[in-house]
Order: sequence, then C-alpha cells, then structure tokens
Amino acid sequence: MQKQERAQAQEQGPGPDRPERATGGAVPAQPDGPHGAEPPTGPAAEPAGRFRSPLVLALGPLLVAAALWLWALPRIDFRHIDEFGLLDRFPVTFYAALAVLTLGFVLSLRRAGTAPVWPAVYSVAMLVALKAPPAVLYETVRYAWASKHDAIITRLLAEGTVHPGTELSGGMSAYDQWPGFFALDAALVRAFGVDGAASFINWAPVALGLLTLPVLVLVYRTFSDDWRLVWTAAWIFQLANWVGQDYLSPQGFSYLLHLTVLAVVVRRFVRPGSAGRLRDRAVLDPAAAAVPPSATLRQRAVAVLLLVPVIAAVNAAHQLTPLMLCVTLAALCLTRRYRNLGLLATAAVLMLAWYLTMGRELFLDTLSTLGEKLGNLLANSRPGFAGEPTGPGPELVGSANVLMVLALGGLAVTAVLLRRRLARSALPLILAAAAPVPLVLVNDYGGEMIFRVYLFGLPGSAFFAAAALVPAAGAASRAATAARRTATVALPLALLTMLAGFLPSYYGKEGMHYAQPGETALTRRALDRAPEGALILAATGAFSDAYYRYDRYERWFFTEQEVDENLRMLQDPAGYLAGGIPAGRPAYVILTPTQAEAVIGEGYLPPGGFDSLVAALKASPLFGVVEEGRYGIVLRYEPTTG
Amino acid sequence: MALPRLTPVRRRAALAVSGWVALAATALPDGSPLRWIPVLAFVGFAPGFVLLTRQPAGPRPDGRLEVYALAAPVSLALATLTATGLFLADAFSVAAFLGILAAFVTVAALLPGFRFRKRGGGEDG
Repeated sequence: MQKQERAQAQEQGPGPDRPERATGGAVPAQPDGPHGAEPPTGPAAEPAGRFRSPLVLALGPLLVAAALWLWALPRIDFRHIDEFGLLDRFPVTFYAALAVLTLGFVLSLRRAGTAPVWPAVYSVAMLVALKAPPAVLYETVRYAWASKHDAIITRLLAEGTVHPGTELSGGMSAYDQWPGFFALDAALVRAFGVDGAASFINWAPVALGLLTLPVLVLVYRTFSDDWRLVWTAAWIFQLANWVGQDYLSPQGFSYLLHLTVLAVVVRRFVRPGSAGRLRDRAVLDPAAAAVPPSATLRQRAVAVLLLVPVIAAVNAAHQLTPLMLCVTLAALCLTRRYRNLGLLATAAVLMLAWYLTMGRELFLDTLSTLGEKLGNLLANSRPGFAGEPTGPGPELVGSANVLMVLALGGLAVTAVLLRRRLARSALPLILAAAAPVPLVLVNDYGGEMIFRVYLFGLPGSAFFAAAALVPAAGAASRAATAARRTATVALPLALLTMLAGFLPSYYGKEGMHYAQPGETALTRRALDRAPEGALILAATGAFSDAYYRYDRYERWFFTEQEVDENLRMLQDPAGYLAGGIPAGRPAYVILTPTQAEAVIGEGYLPPGGFDSLVAALKASPLFGVVEEGRYGIVLRYEPTTG
Repeated sequence: MALPRLTPVRRRAALAVSGWVALAATALPDGSPLRWIPVLAFVGFAPGFVLLTRQPAGPRPDGRLEVYALAAPVSLALATLTATGLFLADAFSVAAFLGILAAFVTVAALLPGFRFRKRGGGEDG
C-alpha cells in the first residue's frame, strides 16, 4: 500500500544514503537500520548488535539526558540570578542534557515512519526539560503576569461572581469582562481543595505544552504523511515559541482552543469536490498528505456544533483570540477547500455577541481609539512602550529574539519557494500564518500585538521551516540526494541553533521573573498595611504580587511611559511622584529587586536609574521609609512633612 | 501506541461513572492527590472524549489521534463554559460544577440512539 511505502521511506531518515535503499537503490542496508516494523531485538542478537538495536538507540540518549538533567536540576543557582538570567546559572550538564535530547530526537526521526512514538517521547522530554525547572525549583509564582492572574482568581473566589460593569483601575475590569479562563481555574482550585492557583501555576507551561503538542501534530498530519516532517515541525514550534505566552494565562489557553478549531476545520470541513488534484500522488510533494475526506453539508453542520462550545470558550476567555480566529477562518475561506461561510458567520456572531454584552465597555473604548491607531504601522508593531533594553542580558535576549525570527522566517520562506507542491497542498497553513498580520495595522494591543501576530503565525512558519530542513524521502534525483546529504548536517545544526536561541529568549531575563519569597512577603505586607483606596506606586507592574488585592487599591507604575518622560522624572523623582499623587490620598511606594531588573530589561530606565531613584526617594522629606531590606523598600508619602 | 482496550459498553459505563467518582473524590482531604488527580482527569478529558467518540464522523486518517488530541481542549472548553456560567449566576459550588459536567458525560455516554464507532475512536487510514 502506498502509505506503507511512504512510511518505510520515511523511516530511513535524513541520512544521505537511506532513501536510495528505500526506493530500491544499491546502497547496502545499515546494521542499525530497521528492516520492518519489528526490529530484531531477540536474545540471540550479538552483544555489539544489541547496543545498536533500535530500542537502545532510541532509549539511550533519553536516559543519558534524563540523568544529566536530574543531576543539573538541584544545581541550578536560581537564587543568585545576575545579569544573564538563568543562562549562567544553569550547570553545563543542563545544556548537555538538552543537546543530547536534540541529537536523540534527530536519531529517532530515522525510524519515525514506523515508530513515531519515539519522536513524540523526545518532544515531551524536551518540553519537560526546558520548562519544568521553575515549576520544580521556585517557591514563588514565576512571572509577574502569572502572579497577576493568581490575584484575579483569588478575587473571583472571594467575590463568588464577576462585576463586568464595575470600573477598576489599571484596566483590571477587563478580566471581569472576559472571565472564562479564571472561572475555570477558580473551579479547579476549589475542586482540588488547594489554597489557590499558586499551587499549580508554575506547571502551566508544561501542561499547556503537553496539551498543545498533540493538537499541533494533528494539524501537521493533515498536511503531511511524513512523520519526520511532522515531528520536526512540532519540535521547531516548541523552540520558536519564545514569546512567553505559555504561562497560566487566558492567551495561552485560548491559543490551545484556537489550534483546536484550526485542527477540526482542516480535517472536517473540506468541501465536496474541492480537492482537485490534491489527492493525486503524482502532483503532490512526496511528503504531503492528500486532502482529507470531504464532508457533506450535514457533516460540517455537526462539526460546527462540536466547535460552538470551543469557540464560545475562546470568547469567554480572551479579547484578542476571537478576532484572530475570525481572521484565520476568513483567510481559509479564500481557498475552495475550506470556504465555510457558515462557520465563519458562527464565529463572528459569537464574537460580536460577547463583545457587545460582557465586553461592551472595553470593546466600545477600543473602537473609539481605533481611528488614531488605524494604519499606524510603526507604532502598532512596536514591542512594549519604552526604549531599548539595556544591560548585557536583555541585549542578548533582544538579539536572540531577532535572530530566531529571521532564522524561522528564512527557513519557512525557503521551503515555500523550493517546495511549491507542498506549499500548494498546505496552503491553508500559509494562510493561517499570514492572516493575523494585517491586525498590526489596526491596534497595538498594549505593545503586544507584534508578539501575538508572531505567535499565531507560528504553526505555519514552523511547518515550513521544518520542510526546509527535512527533504522528502524517496525522490532519487541528484538534487534530492544532495538535499538529503545537506540535511544530515543541517537538521541537527539548525535545531541546536534554535535551542541556543530559545534559551536566552525564555530564560535570559529571569531576574524579572523569579522573586525571592522575602520579596513577595514584603510586597504583601506593604499592601496589607495600606488603607483601602490607597494609591500604590511602583516603578513597574512587572513584579510578583503587584496586583495582590487589586480591587482595594489604585496603582501607578510610574516608569511605564516614554523614556524621555522617565528621564525628566529622574531629575527630581520625589517631586515628580508627589506631583502625581492626588491631594489627601494615602500613597505608598514599593520598590523591589525584580522591579530593578524589569526597568532595565524593558528599557524603561537607563543603567543606574533605579538606584538613583531609590536614593532620591529615601533622601526626600516627602517620603518616609516604612520598611527597608534586601528584598526591597517601602516608602509612605508624607506631604505634611515636606 | 498501546491504548487501553475496553469494550464500547465498558467504556461507556466507565465514562458515565467517571464524573461521579471525581465528585466523590472531592470529599477527600484538601489538596490530596487522590482528590485532585481524578478531578483533573475527569474535567480535562471525559467531556470532550465522550463528545468526540459520539460524533457520527466516518473513517478518516488518524481518527484515533484526533480523538485523543482534541479530547482535552474540548473538555476544558466545556468546563470553562460551565464554570463561567456558574460564576456569572453567582451560583458556583464544586458540587454544581462537577455535577453538571458529570451529568452531561453520563447522559452523552448512555443516551440511546448514539453509537460508538468500532475500534473505539476511529480508524487510522
């Protein structure tokens, strides 16, 4: 059967000589290569042969990597993070474990056609190896935004309901208007019987990764029968997903649901008679899958019913993803294969229904500012608010991010240009990747839009980047042979390079993301001490527990503005802050080590700016020190003494 | 991948009781693994699994992968809607949350007129 032949061809891997054997070439069989689905592993095998048996080759690197990782884990010096985040706090064995996993994964691809479970095992192992250390090690919530979400869940549990019409400072009422994800978490907190989401929050990147991986593989399998390509694409997706949206967040959750909708659409919404020649193997790329079976109107209607709760949950959870979903579905409608206007209309109606009811206030507010933001490409695509990050760590992160985007984009474009038959059959993936791009013209989404566009374009980009690195097996032309020879070196090299790019992007600013327990205790003490209605000042909101009991206070994160304004502020910090505090309002300033990292990492203040700010406030008669120590300083505004 | 081989009837029965087992587990001490593991397994898998395996979809490539890949996100979507509705109505309780989901799964698993596909979940083409 054709599929079995392809699977056999795939299992030969990207090695230069395997495909010839698969297609009847004269290259002799390799001793470590499988000859069928059941490799010889019996007791009669020679001892040397045992070490080269497929099981040993598959399991060996995994066990070595696990041993290295477990040895490294307690030696990660996360309590003494300096300017390079965790990068110089990881022991060498940690990096060795990741490198061994990468090489083990590449080896496992050689048998991916008949044993796709091994690339899957390596992918899961890499996910855990990359993202579990904070979950295992940290005693506090990693990442300020995760901490913010913990505070929202805590409040929801305390209130027992949401108040979408109540205005809360700092845009916090939006979380009551899109409460879906927090409601789910709150329900789980109560059902588990734990104190709060903090007890499982650091595991979210691992959990979301584990949930996303099979959905992604399902999407990729729809467009490729080649397991090597599928798993390489999933691997690249993991490494290129550095934008930090995998924490416990509505974005991370709704992204999973977005991919779920995409998977169902590409598999179950093929219109009858639309496949054309895309089921003809003669015109398909050898790695491509034929278009899935078409669905009748009735079958598609049933599939819409399956998707309605998923789309509704996306709408209940997040503001932006429903829009991303609609533009993706609209882009898919550009193909004859997936012109499902009924589904698009369903998604649009659900989105508008939520926007105009629960999310009405923010929706109308966004509409009112649309005029000034529409078409302002430069401003909307600008990441964050402030200047360039300063310091070697953040600068390294910035460079790694840019290089990752360029590498991924370069590989993907190369594959689209060189493997046009694959691009044609996988056109929906290209459209889904490109669909969110025009949104940069519409809104900046608080400086986040460019990252979100990258995130939503990632599944398609990763697929084609993988296609550039995994040439089709089976083709016997000279060019195909040369491509396979190149891939033997290029694939592991590219994956190791991407790994090297991922680590600074993900862990290079860890000083911002890890707060010592003493620091969170100081923040909570300060907030508990402040009377209800007080104004809480901090350099930035990017610190753990910044939003603790957020409905009781108003917050002013005073460096989150243009750099020029911050430079003016640094000339007389006490006077500047006093000028912004309403008369008669009790006000407190909380300044912590993670804020010091964040203002540098985000480029809000120049080097040394934070220290001079602290010194100026301490010296000012307008502010009195309430508490000071290695975990930060708390000051009270005392205008009467000024 | 080796998947548990349950007959359709047994699987339906297991699904039908899974939610009630999870609900009963909430009587165990707070935070106990014997409590949160069955709750998480049920909330994160059962509602989607029962819905996907009762879909009248015909044979399609990677049908089993489809069921196992989509079961969790579909389940969590249903759990999200349930929890959101309860909080909006100011009527949230663990019993209501798990009870609604358990009732949904039980009804979907046992309702006559539906058939599980042969070989549980789909045929890989």
